[in-house]
Amino acid sequence: MATLLWFQGGACSGNTMSFLNAEEPSACDLVTDFGIDILWHPSLGMELGEAAQRLFYECARGERPLDIFVFEGTVIQGPGGSGRYDMFADRPMKDWVLELANQASIVVAIGDCACWGGIPAVAPNPSDSTGLQYLRKARGGFLGADWRSKAGLPVINIPGCPAHPDWVTQILVAVASGRTADIALDDLQRPQTFFKSFTQTGCTRVQFFEYKQSTMEFGQGTRTGCLFYEFGCRGPMTHSPCNRILWNRQSSKTRAGMPCTGCTEPEFPFFDLAPGTVFKTQKISGTIPREVPTGTDPLSYMALAAAARVAAPKWSKEDMFVV
Amino acid sequence: MATVTDISPAGAKTLDLHVSPLGRVEGDLDVRVSIRDGVVTSAWTEAAMFRGFEIILKGKDPQAGLIVTPRICGICGGSHLYKAVYALDTAWKTELPPNATLVRNIAQACETLQSIPRWFYALFAIDLTNKNYARAEGYDEAVRRFAPFVGTSYEVGVTLSGKPVEVYAIYGGQWPHSSFMIPGGVMCGPTLADVTRSIAILDYWKDEWLEKRWLGGSVERWLENKSWADVLAWVDENEGHYNSDCGFFIRFAQRIGLDRFGAGFGNYLATGTYFNPELYARPTIEGRNAALINRSGVFVDGHYYDFDQANVREDVTHSFYEGSHALHPFEGRTEPVDPAIGRKQGKYSFAKAPRYEIPGVGSRPLEAGPLARQVVAGKPGAASWQDFDPLFHDAVTTVGPSVLVRVMARMHEAAKYYKLARGWLDQLDLHEKFYIKPQELPDGRGFGSTEAARGSLSDWIVIKEGKIENYQVVTPTAWNIGPRDSREVNGPMEQAFVGAPIADTSDPVELGHVARSFDSCLVCTVHAYDEKTGKELARFRIGEGA
Repeated sequence: MATLLWFQGGACSGNTMSFLNAEEPSACDLVTDFGIDILWHPSLGMELGEAAQRLFYECARGERPLDIFVFEGTVIQGPGGSGRYDMFADRPMKDWVLELANQASIVVAIGDCACWGGIPAVAPNPSDSTGLQYLRKARGGFLGADWRSKAGLPVINIPGCPAHPDWVTQILVAVASGRTADIALDDLQRPQTFFKSFTQTGCTRVQFFEYKQSTMEFGQGTRTGCLFYEFGCRGPMTHSPCNRILWNRQSSKTRAGMPCTGCTEPEFPFFDLAPGTVFKTQKISGTIPREVPTGTDPLSYMALAAAARVAAPKWSKEDMFVV
Repeated sequence: MATVTDISPAGAKTLDLHVSPLGRVEGDLDVRVSIRDGVVTSAWTEAAMFRGFEIILKGKDPQAGLIVTPRICGICGGSHLYKAVYALDTAWKTELPPNATLVRNIAQACETLQSIPRWFYALFAIDLTNKNYARAEGYDEAVRRFAPFVGTSYEVGVTLSGKPVEVYAIYGGQWPHSSFMIPGGVMCGPTLADVTRSIAILDYWKDEWLEKRWLGGSVERWLENKSWADVLAWVDENEGHYNSDCGFFIRFAQRIGLDRFGAGFGNYLATGTYFNPELYARPTIEGRNAALINRSGVFVDGHYYDFDQANVREDVTHSFYEGSHALHPFEGRTEPVDPAIGRKQGKYSFAKAPRYEIPGVGSRPLEAGPLARQVVAGKPGAASWQDFDPLFHDAVTTVGPSVLVRVMARMHEAAKYYKLARGWLDQLDLHEKFYIKPQELPDGRGFGSTEAARGSLSDWIVIKEGKIENYQVVTPTAWNIGPRDSREVNGPMEQAFVGAPIADTSDPVELGHVARSFDSCLVCTVHAYDEKTGKELARFRIGEGA
């Protein structure tokens, strides 16, 4: 039995909604089969009334063991560091977060907002939002770069806007089933089991990428080609299992024809949504992609691309995902 | 959690409650109520969280709203996308192929079909298991069905609520938070198997939840109900209906009095949703009403009016924003003030107070949501492609609005939207276009709107020199939970609390029912105040049931 408390700060509840789409295990299974004792969650009924109030304070004071503290949404610090732009139970939410994080064995940040600040932290960041241990790419965030939970771990970041339900439930099951030690984190504190691979890993367009064949138009045009060249797809530069563990058991954005926006990375939304950057590949001299796949360099990549185009078979220029 | 102090000279009991959080979902809502003689006399709804999306959007790429606005609310993210794209379509004067309109309609409907059971079981029905009702006949059955996580219907309802958004993911890649609708159409080019899978998934959901679990009978039979009396007769028509979750809920709700409070003003707004593909091939603000399938309209004091976006205002007199103006959203401003300062100016909420100016009548707060939509569906004069449905106009004029009627309006849409979505799937022509590349005009104004599960949701965008000059979003939650205005008129939910009886002040579940019948996307907090002195007596409390 592991106790879990789930709070929301500057949140849209998208991660909760995504969590409720889970099937293996479902949110109900987590409770009934895996013994996760969800002490409280803002949108699901559990411990209630005075018992819940008591529970909050007991957890915050360390009088009641809290195994997992899940936080969704940004930590709102404005205005002027007061936290008054997000009041919860008569206190700034940030004060609750600090106390509960310090008492929990493990702290899990779910979604970009809790990990890095997400959309609310986009310039000019009107609410002075931050993630728990990062603000965009910069380590530190609300808790500070050196912060550790009672179990000696930094915040476990499960990013994504939203996070996929399986990324959340599988980590919770790992913790509840004594496999916490197997959760290896990458240099952005993300579980490697999910975030070592790329969004492009498993994408159905990868053969078009291989021969550098571009999708030329949305809609009917996405029956062929790769979205990297014209539509700003970040699949080759983004770490996520979106094409290994499908969304809603059906598809992924890139499979459906939508460019990856890189939402598991701290820079999302990239270029701060400046004019001309949305769904458009940023190019040098109007032709060369400014960013090339992770780990390669523009010159090597252009050489590879030239060779690939020469080798491109006829089928790679035709529709593949047809009626 | 309340203290009872007998301070009134007349001997009336004035109760002070301070209960929190009340509701569930995005951000926090505090509700202060004054209670006298066991009845709520005043209420103040206070949205307690500010993120500043409209400020973030200024100066950004015109299409930034497609990425940013769904993140305002992850529960209605698809609806945010739907209205954001129409704001751009009208600003850029795009042409939409019929398939694009159909796919957008299907996706929007599927988000709502997801929301209906998820909202009912995960958010609303768990309150029916509140111990306050332990002595009501049927309580054990309510617990057996609706208890969180373990209720026989809870697990089925919550898990199957994920099915309709599987269909969303087939076209949008994922739910929540896709941005697959773009000016000129949609990003996807569906295949035959995409359509057949969609049909199979939707029919599975219809069979397993909507008909087997919720209705205990057929969708077609349910849709024959044209009046509230028909609904009550339907319950008793056979054992299937009677013992279904719907039949049981209607019976139990009446037993515990959910048909007797939560009325509100009885004035409603629907901006409408879903477009006729031929009639909205070139979206314009002016042409919007005529192209709608589920119509827009305003219902005030028993009269219907046409909806015109030009009549919307947002009043910030009591909102934590600079000034006390009531501006049209094209001119709207979002300049937050520190609540510590704002309170001294009589401000109490981060929600603005949307109001609708009816020419010749005046400015009114309007309730948005399924009940509003379904009342507007009873407006005479529907064209052949438009929904006409007299059921809830009948309900509000015969038995009057209440928590029960509001809940049933929402559940009614499960059958209606299922039928619509199935029909649109049949109309997709896979050999035709899904997108027509538009010209990205550097300057323009756009208006996009839809009906999110919980009500009218609209964007106003001003584009200047290739970037966003102004972006204003008016959400259903703002319509419903917005504060008082410059004339001290209550917001709709504030008004709906007034008159609610509170049977047990230590657990005022009735307030929870009212708040959640609106499905505000906020976690609600209730504080209750001494009506005489305004002094807050009780302490912080977390909880369902208030």
